[in-house]
This record gives sequence, C-alpha cells and structure tokens, in this order.
Amino acid sequence: MDKYSRATIREFMSPSNIGYIDDPSGMGHIADNADAVELTFFISVDAGHITDAKYRVAGCTALISTLSVLSKELPGKTIDEALALDMSYLSGVLDGLPESKWRCAGYAVQALHLAIEDYQSKGEATAG
Amino acid sequence: MERIVYMDNAATTPVDAAVLDEMKPFFTEQFANPMTYAHSSSGDVAHVAVEEARVRVASLIGSQPEQVMFTSGGTESDNWVLKGTVERASRERLHKSGHLVTAEFEHHAILHSALALQRQGYEVTFVKVGHSGIVDPDDVQRAMRPTTALVSIMHANNEIGTIQPIADIARIAHEHGALMHTDAVQTTAHIPVDVDTLGVDFLSVSAHKFNGPKGVGILFVRDQEALYPFIDGGGQEWGLRGSTHNVPGIVGLGKAAQLGKERLPRELERLTMLRDMLLSKLSAQIDGIVVNGDMKQRVPQNLNIRIEGIDNEPLLLAMNEAGIIAAGGSACNALETLASHVLTSIGCDLKEAKSSIRLSLGYATTTEDVNYAIDVIPGLVKFLRSMA
Ligand SMILES: Cc1ncc(COP(=O)(O)O)c(C=O)c1O
Repeated sequence: MDKYSRATIREFMSPSNIGYIDDPSGMGHIADNADAVELTFFISVDAGHITDAKYRVAGCTALISTLSVLSKELPGKTIDEALALDMSYLSGVLDGLPESKWRCAGYAVQALHLAIEDYQSKGEATAG
Repeated sequence: MERIVYMDNAATTPVDAAVLDEMKPFFTEQFANPMTYAHSSSGDVAHVAVEEARVRVASLIGSQPEQVMFTSGGTESDNWVLKGTVERASRERLHKSGHLVTAEFEHHAILHSALALQRQGYEVTFVKVGHSGIVDPDDVQRAMRPTTALVSIMHANNEIGTIQPIADIARIAHEHGALMHTDAVQTTAHIPVDVDTLGVDFLSVSAHKFNGPKGVGILFVRDQEALYPFIDGGGQEWGLRGSTHNVPGIVGLGKAAQLGKERLPRELERLTMLRDMLLSKLSAQIDGIVVNGDMKQRVPQNLNIRIEGIDNEPLLLAMNEAGIIAAGGSACNALETLASHVLTSIGCDLKEAKSSIRLSLGYATTTEDVNYAIDVIPGLVKFLRSMA
C-alpha cells in the first residue's frame, strides 16, 4: 500500500523556505487545474551558485515536502548541480515517496527547471 | 493519551461493546453449525441465535423475518441483487437481454456490478444526478424501457449523504413492470428505513456501518422467485445463498440492529444538531466553505464540504497528525489520486472535488469531539493557505 514516510509527513508539517524572493534571479510558475496545483519557485543566483530558493504552493503533500527538501538542497549548488537533483534523489531524502506521488511531486523539479531557464534567458538578454 | 477524534463513520464504525459481548460465545463454546439443529442441541443454539438475529433485522427494516437473507455485507448484497434479478428476468420473463437503471453516483459495489452486466450484454442506463446530489424521479421515468428488469438507486449516498426519493422512484419502476432495489447501507439505523414505506423489492444493509461487525449484511428479498442465487452452495438461506452461516457476525448484526432501532430517534436528533453545529462553526471561522449536495435531504451523520484553495490530501494528513480522522472521497478510493466520482457526478470540477472532505459522525461521537474539530481544523486550513 502506498503511504507517506514519517520523514515526508514531518517535512510537510513544518516546511522550510516558504515565501517570496524580491527581485529573484529566476522564477518558475506552474498551474495545473486537474491536479489542483499552483506553484511559484524563486531562485537567487550569485557568481554561478544558487544562494537562495523559496516557493509558494497549493498542492499535495508530496509536492510540499519535495519543495521543502529541494529548497534546502539548492543553496551553494551550481546550476549544473541543481539540474542534477532529480526525483529519485529527492524521494530518497524523504525516505521514499510512494511512486504514485512522483508525478505530482515532480512539479517541484519542473518549477526549478523553469526558474533556471528564466535565469538563463535573462543572462542571455544581458549578454546580448 | 493522544486524542483521537474519529469522524469517518461512513467508512466504518466501531463495534459496540454490547454487540461484541453477544458475539463472543459463538466463536468459542457455541461454535456449532446452525444447519445441524435438527439432530444437535448445540446446533439448535446457533440456529436459534441466527433466527433471532433475523427477527431483529426484520424489525429494524419493517420486513418479515423470512425476507431477510444474510450475506457477507453490502457489496455482496448489491452484486447479488443486480446480477440475480437482471439475469432471471432476462431469461424467464423478457426472453432477451434485460435493462438496468441505476445512477452515476452509486457505490462501486453497484457501479462495478452494473459494468459486469454490461460486459455480458445486458443494457444499463446510468442516470445523472445534478448539483443537489438527489436523483430526479423524472430522469428515472425517462430511462425506463419495456425491458427494464430492475431499478437500483441508493437510499443515501455514502460520500455526500443525500437522501433519495426512493418511494417515488419505486412507483415509477413498478408502473413499468420493473423491480426496485435500494442500497440502504448508509441509512439503516440512521434514519427510518421501512421496506413498505419505501416500496422496494430489495434492500441492502451492512452491519459495520451501525456499530456491528464487518463482513456481514443482509439483502431484503420481498419475493424469492425474483432472483437467482449468487453464491451457489448448500441449502442455507432457503437455498438462495450457500455457505455456512457466519454465526458470530450474524448475531452481532442482530444486536446492532436492535440497538440501532432503540437509539435511532435520539441519535437522529443528536447527530443532526452536532453536524449542523460543526458546519456553522467551521463556516464562521473559514471562508470559502461550500457544502457538497443538498443540506436538508441528508443523513444526520454526514457533512461533506469543499474548502476553497485547499487540497484535501494534505489537509486530511494534517488533521490525522492532530488526531482527527476524516475522509476525502470514500474509504475504498482513498488511494486514488483521481477525484471522487460522486463529486464529479454532482458537477464539481476536479479542483473542487480535490478540495472536499467528508466528516461523518457516529454513535461514539461526542460533543467534545465536535468541539475539538471546530478548534483544530480552522488552524490547519490557515496553515495550508499560508503556503499559497
Ligand atoms: C452505499 C454503500 N454501499 C455498499 C457498501 C459496501 O458495504 P460492505 O463494506 O459491507 O461490503 C458501502 C460501504 O462500504 C456503502 O457505503
């Protein structure tokens, strides 16, 4: 039977890094009505390293706890290291998310990728 | 000790202490097979106990004792009546594949039995329900065909608790020469259930929804000639339902029926009051609460609300952490990430369905339990909304 680990429940009951970043380096937004998900992910990047990550979320338990873990993993990582954070890694940090929840929790990774794309497109704009 | 407030009585209820007491001897000393009563005095003790339970259940639903067939629960009763009547009417009366009329928001015991019949070539109409969560008898009227063998509409829905106009629908079924069944699993012992007032030919009951044991129920059968057996076997239940009687379970069902009948008037009033207080106090503290389905034509123990901007899954988990046990869809579907078919059938979109919770009270629910829920739930909603 699919059920959440205690680690997932603990993470969800006191999630880290909920909030906004004013003037973020990159921002990713996802809204999916069928999954009842609305999510915005913010990152600050300085000298090639992520310095801060925050998010706002309405969604399932798996998504909230994955976002919390992801936001704590990011500071100090390079963009490539950030892109390497995938669901199997994040699920491991949560002592294993039920497989049926990976799709919804995956919005966390997608939102990070959108925020990174946003950051990179701004970089190109400045460079160009 | 950590406080547990159980508000999922529509899924199942605790076995009443008095019920358990009556059951116990039939696991141990009184273990005999009731079918041996003619030559065994211990068999006779079991037989007498089974027959007494039959009388108690009959008294609860206003039937004759010999119209009460013991089964393994609501699911079997529903399977039996749908398959047994449609097959029999098709073969013996219609001489072609018969037709079944049921509703979109039925329990899966009915819906999946209906789909099984459809796979075998029988025809099924699933009547739509609408926002109120109440089937319109005119829609049933329009669904009727000369080949309709059975109409099966639940007495009250298990998720939203709405009570259906069964007597009116039964009249329509009979005017068209069809038989009428109602799944009364959510109403029996909660509101008055009388097979003659309802005008039904068949009625399903499950013991574990009113403080009886799991795995036992009945099918009320007005006329034994109207359906084929479903569990073929020995001569139990007039040869209509084989298998050695579940004596402790049946005894427990009988006791629960007796207690249910005694307690009904007071419980109906008490739970209606508690349920209404729960709704009004939650609504006063949480904005964006909408009741799913009609609030007046509803069993007293049921409240089903959607809370704007909330996903029910984290809310239910947070409530569970605080000791409050409730439900999203029904218990059988707790693992589906899909929205409840009941809520979508009454016009909720997926987001609305996923923001809905069911709080269902029972005999064991106290005023303190309800006050605790009123104190705790608003804070959890605020916590979840603060993330968005
Ligand atoms: C309306 C309804 N019908 C049928 C059932 C199935 O009953 P049982 O669990 O006894 O098989 C239930 C509950 O699970 C129910 O709520």
